[in-house]
Amino acid sequence: MTKRLVVQLARFGDIVQSKRLILSLRREGDVHLCVDRSLAALARLVYPDCVIHALPAHGCDARTVLEEGRAVFEHLRSEHFAEVYALNNAGLCKAVASLFPPEVVRGYPVRGGQALRCRWIRMAFRWMAERRRSPLNLADFWASLAPVPISPALVNPPAVPGGKGLGIVLAGQVRRRSPSPDALALLTRIQAEKLGRAGKCPVYLLGTSKEHSAARDLMARLPGTVVERCLDLTGKTDWAALQDILAGLDVLLSPDTGTAHLAAHLGVPVLGLFCSSAWVWETGPYGVGHTVLQADLPCAPCAESSPCPKNAPCRAAFTDPALLAYLAGRGKTERRFPRHVRILHGTFDEMGQTWREEGGDSPDHDAPLRKALRDQLAEYLGLGTTHGSDAAAALYRETDWILPPIRP
Amino acid sequence: MEQHLRILVVLPLYGGSLPIGRYCASALGELGHMVDVFEAPAFHEAHAALRGLRVAEDRMEQLENSFVNLLGQAIYARVEHFEPDLVLALAQAPMSRQLLQRLRREGVPSAMWFVEDYRVFSYWRVFAPLYDFFFVIQKEPFLSLLKEAGVPHAMYLPLAALPGFHRKVELTPEQRREYGADLSFLGAGYPNRRVAFRTLLRRDFKIWGSDWEGDELLAPRVQRRGARISAEESVLVYNAAKINLNLHSSLEADKLVSGGDFVNPRTFELAAMGAFQLVDRRELMPELFRLDGDDAELSVFSSPEEMEAAIDFYLAHPEAREEIARRSRERVLAEHTYQQRMEALLGFIRSLRPDWPCPRAEHGWPEGMSGGMQEELTSLLTRLGLPNSASFDEVIARLRNQSGELESLEAGLLFLDEWRKQYS
Repeated sequence: MTKRLVVQLARFGDIVQSKRLILSLRREGDVHLCVDRSLAALARLVYPDCVIHALPAHGCDARTVLEEGRAVFEHLRSEHFAEVYALNNAGLCKAVASLFPPEVVRGYPVRGGQALRCRWIRMAFRWMAERRRSPLNLADFWASLAPVPISPALVNPPAVPGGKGLGIVLAGQVRRRSPSPDALALLTRIQAEKLGRAGKCPVYLLGTSKEHSAARDLMARLPGTVVERCLDLTGKTDWAALQDILAGLDVLLSPDTGTAHLAAHLGVPVLGLFCSSAWVWETGPYGVGHTVLQADLPCAPCAESSPCPKNAPCRAAFTDPALLAYLAGRGKTERRFPRHVRILHGTFDEMGQTWREEGGDSPDHDAPLRKALRDQLAEYLGLGTTHGSDAAAALYRETDWILPPIRP
Repeated sequence: MEQHLRILVVLPLYGGSLPIGRYCASALGELGHMVDVFEAPAFHEAHAALRGLRVAEDRMEQLENSFVNLLGQAIYARVEHFEPDLVLALAQAPMSRQLLQRLRREGVPSAMWFVEDYRVFSYWRVFAPLYDFFFVIQKEPFLSLLKEAGVPHAMYLPLAALPGFHRKVELTPEQRREYGADLSFLGAGYPNRRVAFRTLLRRDFKIWGSDWEGDELLAPRVQRRGARISAEESVLVYNAAKINLNLHSSLEADKLVSGGDFVNPRTFELAAMGAFQLVDRRELMPELFRLDGDDAELSVFSSPEEMEAAIDFYLAHPEAREEIARRSRERVLAEHTYQQRMEALLGFIRSLRPDWPCPRAEHGWPEGMSGGMQEELTSLLTRLGLPNSASFDEVIARLRNQSGELESLEAGLLFLDEWRKQYS
């Protein structure tokens, strides 16, 4: 049986978002997955059919990195992988890629000490220069490194309410990517009251121990009828417990987090709250049955590494009364939509995840070029032919047609 | 031929279109045109060195962009020096957008022969509109897509053979031992070929060419561990096999015979050599070769089963092989040579630009030359491969492309050319 290795040394959400690639490769043979050791248990939960290699990559001391890392590398070398998928634009991933002949490495191969980017990765850097027009979900981007990606519909189960209550993810890794406390409280209340109509549904507050204070703060802003249904699980769930809690929820209210991607993996409907640098067209939860509220100010999506000169007004965009009315179930009859928040529902085309906007008073001026770029990528991947657009010029450079390619 | 043209042929750095570029240059020279070749492959190693620098990827991409721009400048410098009537580029030639825009601004006609599958190399959309003339090996819908993309002057130009190169060769006993086989295939290890050839392992079968790594079943059949085979050596390989398999490439392993449209160069090359081939049926093949009847010029198959049956038949009937090979050779020599393709290419340009090429301010031969000097000139023209009607400027251009020490007459002509630049 042919063996392939996927090197995914980024965080929680990235491991789950590698799923379409991993399932595509799994169809062709055995798949090994190399992840940071803190995420190995998660990887085993999500990919029970894969061999997981736990590499000390983050949050450990230099001696561990060297000694335990070397042992992992020795093991990886001995496996003689037919193909290696190096997925991260990071030195750690490239160091792992350097274990293997560049001919077998897809993504970021290293040849003679020179780290390279294959053509597909180079193209991605070009379209990422204009993120508002990002044409492809990250999961589909990685999956497209596989010779034949599986159908997007086979990745995650369609999301349907499971009857077990409401989940609230309190913060992502970066607080700026989460709604303001007021906005989160309003949205939580609306969701809890909607679900509460059908009976007493629990409200699970999810996060790490760092989010204890955020949980307390949220409960302080909620009415007593909701607080009494809240279970503060911040810092109390390991990966298995988190999966158990998520499975069967009616809906998970979350910023762009790994937990949201895990919920999508389980078929739990996600109501995504995307703001700041989070951009639904890049990292929206994968599958059908999810909805994302995308804060869309003219500055979106921003780079979270730079401080926001306006104190992140996008975090408060979710308090727009029209949005709250919509979420409470009144928006559809009143036909009013929020000004700076787009309401998007997950769907598929043959390339993978895409988003259908519901209503909206402000036209998405980037949609035509996003679509043109997507069509051009489909043509590149052999999935169709485009007609009369200038998108090709944004994706291709002379080096593509003049210099020897770095596959694929 | 109506007029001797100056044509700059720009070769790619690497790849399958490189030998085709060389065949075009040869054919144009044989047609009497003055050909200058931009030898991009000479820069290939420089690029390989660049890719081995061990620098950050962003920096690498900047350097590669600069490298491409440098090649563009080098080509432009040749254009300034050679003053061609046409710049003819092959697919993957280092023609940057900036260079193409500059050529257009300055009225230097440019043409590309895109000898690639447009479905696989979709970047044609970016550069095709920047060429004045675009030649392709596929018809519809590609021609319509080109028009839609802003390429008004596109023409179907199928591949061909160069009879002086793709010829019958008498092999030595050693060569026959090395290259000979009942079945032979020369080409890259595309997925469909890897699967299709698995059924041939019990036969006397040799595989030549690269990109066959990772296939343990076929590995014993792959010659020289998958080393690249030069165009010169390919002639020996083709001449040595009883049956040359010619299966067009496809990335789809589950569709072994892809049934695509264009006909690959191998079809014409094998035919020109009088080498027998079994080739998969292609949409555009019937207008190039007779495929059916007693006077068929090619033996084609549409499925792996048909291929196997044909192998059995033709191994048992050498006279049938010879007969078909003879007919396919006659057809190629009559209709499918690079000389004919280049005539068609130039004819297309002439039909669209009746005033092409721009008249030059030609320098004539000095008046009143002695009979002895005229005789010397005639023999010089013969030596340079130029007709007696060649102009003074054509001879000068040809001399400037010569390497090594010049004869006294040659140096005298160059001296006269410089003298005229200084005083006329």
